[in-house]
Amino acid sequence: MAKKQKTTSSGQVINKKPLKMRIWNNRGFYIMFLPVLIYVIIVYYWPMLGIRYSFYDYTLKKIQYVGLKHFQKMFAEKDFWKAFANTLFLSVTKLLLTTAASVIVSVFINEMANLFAKKVLQTVIYLPHFMSWTVTAAVFTLFLSTSSTGFVNETLKSWGWISESIDFMHEPGLWRGVYYIVNLWKETGWGTVIFLATLAGINPELYEAADMDGATRLQRIWYVTVPELANTIIIVLILNLAKVLNLFESVFVMYNNRVFDVSDVLSTYIYRETFMTAIPNYGYTTAVGLFKSLVGCILVIVCNRASKKVRGRGIL
Amino acid sequence: MAKNKEFAPGRKRKTGVFDVINYIVFIVIGLIILIPIWKVLSDSFNAVGVYKFQLFPNKFTLDGYKVIMTTQKLYRPFVNSVVTTVLGTLLGLVMSTLGGYVLAQENLPGRTAIAYFLLFTMIFSGGMIPEYLVMKKLHLVNSMWILVVKHGMNVYNLVLMRNFFEGIPGSLFEAAKIDGCSPMGIFFKIVLPLSKAALASIGLMYAVTVWNDYSTVQIYITNRDQVNFQYILRVMVMDGDTPVTQYSVSQTTLYYAAIICAILPFMALYPFLQKYFVKGVNAGAVKG
Repeated sequence: MAKKQKTTSSGQVINKKPLKMRIWNNRGFYIMFLPVLIYVIIVYYWPMLGIRYSFYDYTLKKIQYVGLKHFQKMFAEKDFWKAFANTLFLSVTKLLLTTAASVIVSVFINEMANLFAKKVLQTVIYLPHFMSWTVTAAVFTLFLSTSSTGFVNETLKSWGWISESIDFMHEPGLWRGVYYIVNLWKETGWGTVIFLATLAGINPELYEAADMDGATRLQRIWYVTVPELANTIIIVLILNLAKVLNLFESVFVMYNNRVFDVSDVLSTYIYRETFMTAIPNYGYTTAVGLFKSLVGCILVIVCNRASKKVRGRGIL
Repeated sequence: MAKNKEFAPGRKRKTGVFDVINYIVFIVIGLIILIPIWKVLSDSFNAVGVYKFQLFPNKFTLDGYKVIMTTQKLYRPFVNSVVTTVLGTLLGLVMSTLGGYVLAQENLPGRTAIAYFLLFTMIFSGGMIPEYLVMKKLHLVNSMWILVVKHGMNVYNLVLMRNFFEGIPGSLFEAAKIDGCSPMGIFFKIVLPLSKAALASIGLMYAVTVWNDYSTVQIYITNRDQVNFQYILRVMVMDGDTPVTQYSVSQTTLYYAAIICAILPFMALYPFLQKYFVKGVNAGAVKG
């Protein structure tokens, strides 16, 4: 080490050496980063080059430049706009519902004095999050089936609430409701984790002050707990708003051709147009994907701005 | 937990109406979550093909599981699931700890560039089809290794690792450096042993992701030898395309048994691992 180096009080060397030397001294780190670099380039950056195909006709037989043809086709396509609208609608509704449910459940958990009950409930409600979407969809499809083995229909019939089986999964008017309920069942519990972390950080003196002023239980919740949560709620909404276009697997495992109108989202549209078509044109579906990526990108940037305003730092 | 200070001794609170309501709410929420899972478990033992509102099987049988265990066509997907989960988790851990460690070096020239290089992938992506075409070039289409490659690293987890590493006191590194330890040496001798909890929680995230993945298989794999258990489960239950030829139980009982097999590995470990999951999320929520 050079003799004249200045150090901070903790003994850290202040870097005043020339850049080349600093790079050389840190070569160990660069070598360690190499596998990550290679991986990220191959898995994330290489596909970005493929975006050029959105300006090409790309079928099994030929690759030919066609300019903006695919974008013109896309913007004229009714199915595309339907998928886009469904993506936004399903995603945002789902986000609002699960966030609201998570907040309510968190408040109840926070009010519970019995530590054991609290622990047990937390363990239970986190559980569905770790079940795959395939399993979740399989379970609910079997439950809601119209055959004589469908638990829900048979139960409702035996109670005399309905006389005919209801086809929950195939009825366009019901599908979205089923989708939201399944999402609530699966993700509400996991959503509470972040709110409970916030609640754990509330200064107990606030509650003491509220008690001193003679606040009732509900008033304590309304005037202390909820305002403390407000910031976290906004952050959760912003963070998730950035991802609304990513909706795929949860819809993919639950939808079917009879409910496309209300369930088809951009990713499933891309999937079907590519892998369920006799002669797929990769160019067209790449163009749809590019549109999705671009809109998603704008959303992330907007949400990042919003996040910086609300909590002083971005989401990235 | 600090949040319980409001129930500190000396300020005894009477058990009021609210507490009663709270207990009722707890029970209702718990039941809503548990009844579907319990119902699947109970019906997987149901010998009579009737699945009404009952919480226990009419007649107990293990035949559903016997059929699953003896169907050889289900072995391969299960083994594929295990192998890809183990390898995917390992690769994910290696990548995110290496990347996170490098990114945690405050004085590394080019650190900001590296961070942007990684973060850009979170903002923008090539999309499903260009990814598919690249994997096709790499001969990963129709191969179960796609599961390992695709989940081999998640930038978000890498950032979580970095946050954790940044929490390790810098004086430890300095001391090791003065003792002549290389960056690699510090990484293995100091950083990793200190990060067991973080490694556990992030490793679990990877494991759950790979084990639960179905859509990647659906997109990339058509060869039945290469699919994972989630895929075969899906095909069985949703398309009624069972590899089972001999039925000694009702089909639905068999499906429920297959579902239990798919969730069993995690359900069995879940109570012990739950705290690591929560720790991982909190690390992201509080600092990430």
